[in-house]
This record gives sequence, structure tokens and C-alpha cells, in this order.
Amino acid sequence: MKPLPPLARLPMLALGVIALVVGVLAGLARLAVVVPEPMAAQAGAHGALMIAAFLGTVISLERAVALAGAGRHAFHWPYLAPLCAGLGGVALLSGLPLAVAQALFILAGALLTAGSGLLLRQQAATHLAVLAVGAACWLAGNIAWAATGVIPNAVPWWMAFLVLTIAGERLELTRFLPPSPPAHRAFLLIVGAQLVGLVVATGFDGAGLRLFSMGLLALALWLLVQDIARRNLRQRGLTRYIAICLLAGYGWLALAGLLGIAGGFAPGSPLRDAALHAVFLGFVFSMIFGHAPIIFPAVAKVRIPYHAVFYLPLALLHGSALVRLVADVATQLAVARAAGIANALALLVFIVVMVASVVRGRRT
Amino acid sequence: MKMSQPFIDPAMKDKSAAPVLPDRDAILAGLRGVIDPEVGMNIVDLGLVYRVDIGATAVTIDMTMTSPACPMGDMMVDAVKAVLDALVPPGTRTEVNLVWSPPWDPSRMSETAKKHFSW
Repeated sequence: MKPLPPLARLPMLALGVIALVVGVLAGLARLAVVVPEPMAAQAGAHGALMIAAFLGTVISLERAVALAGAGRHAFHWPYLAPLCAGLGGVALLSGLPLAVAQALFILAGALLTAGSGLLLRQQAATHLAVLAVGAACWLAGNIAWAATGVIPNAVPWWMAFLVLTIAGERLELTRFLPPSPPAHRAFLLIVGAQLVGLVVATGFDGAGLRLFSMGLLALALWLLVQDIARRNLRQRGLTRYIAICLLAGYGWLALAGLLGIAGGFAPGSPLRDAALHAVFLGFVFSMIFGHAPIIFPAVAKVRIPYHAVFYLPLALLHGSALVRLVADVATQLAVARAAGIANALALLVFIVVMVASVVRGRRT
Repeated sequence: MKMSQPFIDPAMKDKSAAPVLPDRDAILAGLRGVIDPEVGMNIVDLGLVYRVDIGATAVTIDMTMTSPACPMGDMMVDAVKAVLDALVPPGTRTEVNLVWSPPWDPSRMSETAKKHFSW
């Protein structure tokens, strides 16, 4: 079967981008920024739109493209995962019963887990196992949300989904370096500790979330030492830019771990906004900024030539996220609100830079 | 009566008139221009090119990726095909296959790559 043409993949990406735009505006509404009423109405769904609908769609789409390259799959079924995640976002926005969106996200999580399991069956490698466990964490979070009706019950699992997906991909690239069995064992121990912490944390047990947070801190330190990113700082152009995105992201992951150890992931904690956005904004979006110039071309078959202007949204992202973190911790709500607007602007500038680069890539 | 043109097997033509296909070293040199942007190193030194087959009228490449979870396979195949098409004479068939067996492992890296990564 021929690969799904890039044009057929774009509608799924568009569904993800709609979730991103509404999700960001809904997030601003939570900071008491005045946004159009339909977006403000989604304030309670901010996390679900950003993680399950936007990130779930783009990660499943990326995995579906990989699965298509790795083997032949009847009916392009791996693409059903991003389609379901994208439609889950639409269901959230269209006012359908919540159960419809939750069912679509559960289906998407199950499909991504199945696809990731197939990759693991094709090649028994640790990094593929970590990706599959990450996908299963998304599924677990979606089930936790549907079963309890409370998004915060899903959030630790969603965090693990993103952290393990990124960690698995980075682990794979450490194979270029001389093998280190102790480092490999340490990685497995860290991931194991995170998973135990997640299971213990079911029902908001503080000890479980602290163990999970220790796992985040340890993973950040492991990545700072073991990742090829440090070595790639000496390179030029896109490779160096990606390395800087990665290392800055690991800094945020370490901060998230510290905030979590201080109890920041517990619902109701005054540190919760800071802790969650250290992971989901500082860490995850730094990875997205770094990898969009290579993953988007792989998905959409367009060129995104590197340009030093890529550093502009990156600096905005980290600068505004840092101000928000300090304002959160110091309970300076007006500053946190301004920083939240700057966070959104960083994403907007990033999208503009990427679109302009696609246009530039077509001309050259 | 109009005579039909005699069929001439291209292989039977004077060899000196046949377009010369680049040799393996020339092809690998060209493929060293295809860089994995994540790593900052070319696909030949990373050991991703498994086979270069130069036939009479066709060049075939088998290549892999370091992981089946990597979505860049198609893009890399297109980049390799573009390099090949620029290297071979017009009319030469070029084919690039993405293969997964055997799986890539670090022992496939060249000495240059290993030195770069401090082996």
C-alpha cells in the first residue's frame, strides 16, 4: 500500500492546531485575561486541549508516519490515532457530551499504544519499549479522566506520556556514544521509579507524586549528562539550535522535578501552576521548538531551511516561562498574567517563523 | 516499402558511447552530503547505507534508519534519491529502498564517526 500522501495528513495536523489555539486562549482565560467567550468557556478544558488534543494528535501523527515507513499496514490504520485525537478536540469544542471526547481520546491512546507495540515487536530495543510505555501512559490518563471525570487525575499520566516519549527518543540517540551499561541501568531505574510513583500517586497520594518528581529530576540530570546534545553544542546551524532547545528543556525538567518534590504537583498547591508549566511549557515546548524544523518536513513533505531567527521564539518562550515561574512562586498574579500572554506570543511567533520558513523553503 | 528501424540492444552498442555510471566511491562521496540534522553527521559515516548496487543501467541503494520509530525515513530516502539522480547520467534508473533488516547498530559507524563520538 502506498504511503498516505502528505496532503491527506494535513487535516489531522489542522485539527491539532485548532486545539492548540483554543487551548492557549482557554489557558489565558484561566489567568483572567479577557478572551472571546467561546474560548473562555473552554477554560476548564485547557489541559485536555493542550495535551490530549494537540500533543496527542501531533505525537500520534509523527508515530503514524514512522509506522508507515517501517512496514506495510492495511488501511493506513496508524493514522486513526491522530484522527481520533484531533476529533476528540473537536468534540470538546463542539459541546457534544464529554463522554464522546473522552471515548475518542481513549481510542487514540489505544491505537498509539498498539502502533508503538508493533514497532517494539519489529525491533526489541529499550527505547522502543519506553515509547510504548509512554503511549500506554497517555491511554491510562485518558481512562483515568473518563472514569473519574476529573482532569487532574489524568495529568500525572499525561506528564509521563510526554516525558517518556521524549526520553525514549533521546535514549535512542545515545547509541551513537560509547555504550555505558551503568548509565543504561540508571535510565531504567529512573523510568521504573517514575512509573512506581505514578501508580502510588493514583488517588493523589503525595508520596507517589514526590517519587515521580524525583524521577523527573533524575531523568533531567541523566539527559544533561548522557544526551548527545551537549556534544552538538559545538556544531553549527540547525544541529546546534536543536541542542540548545534540548538542554534548555532539560533545565525545565529539572526545575519541574524540584517543584514536584516540594509538593507542586498536588492539586491545590500554590506551586501547581509553576510545576505544571515547567514540564508542559518549558520542557515540552522547548522540545517542540527544537524538533518542528525536522519533524514537520517529515510529516508534510515541505522544507524548513534553518535560519538564526529560530532563536527569537525560543528566547521568548524561555524568558516568558521563567518570568511566569518566578511570578507564580512569588504569587504576583498580575506579572504571571503578563507572562502568560508572553508565553502565548512566543508560540505565535514560533508558528509565524515556521510558516515563513516553509515559504522560504519553497523559493530556494 | 518502408523498412522498419532495426532494433539495437542498448547493451550491444559501442561501450565508448554508453554513459558512464559513477563508481561506488563517487556515489558514497555524494551521499556524504546527506546529513542527519539531529546528529550533525552524514548517513554514510553513521552506517545507514547498507548496499550500493551499480548495474548496467540502474543504481540501487538499500539504507536504514537508526530506529523504526523515526518519522524521517521517507524524507531521507527522497534526499538520497535526489543525490543519486544528480550523479547518474540521464536515463539511468535509481532506486532507494528503506530496509529494516538487519537493524542498525553502532558497530556500523565509520572510524570517523566513532572518533567524533569519542569511542
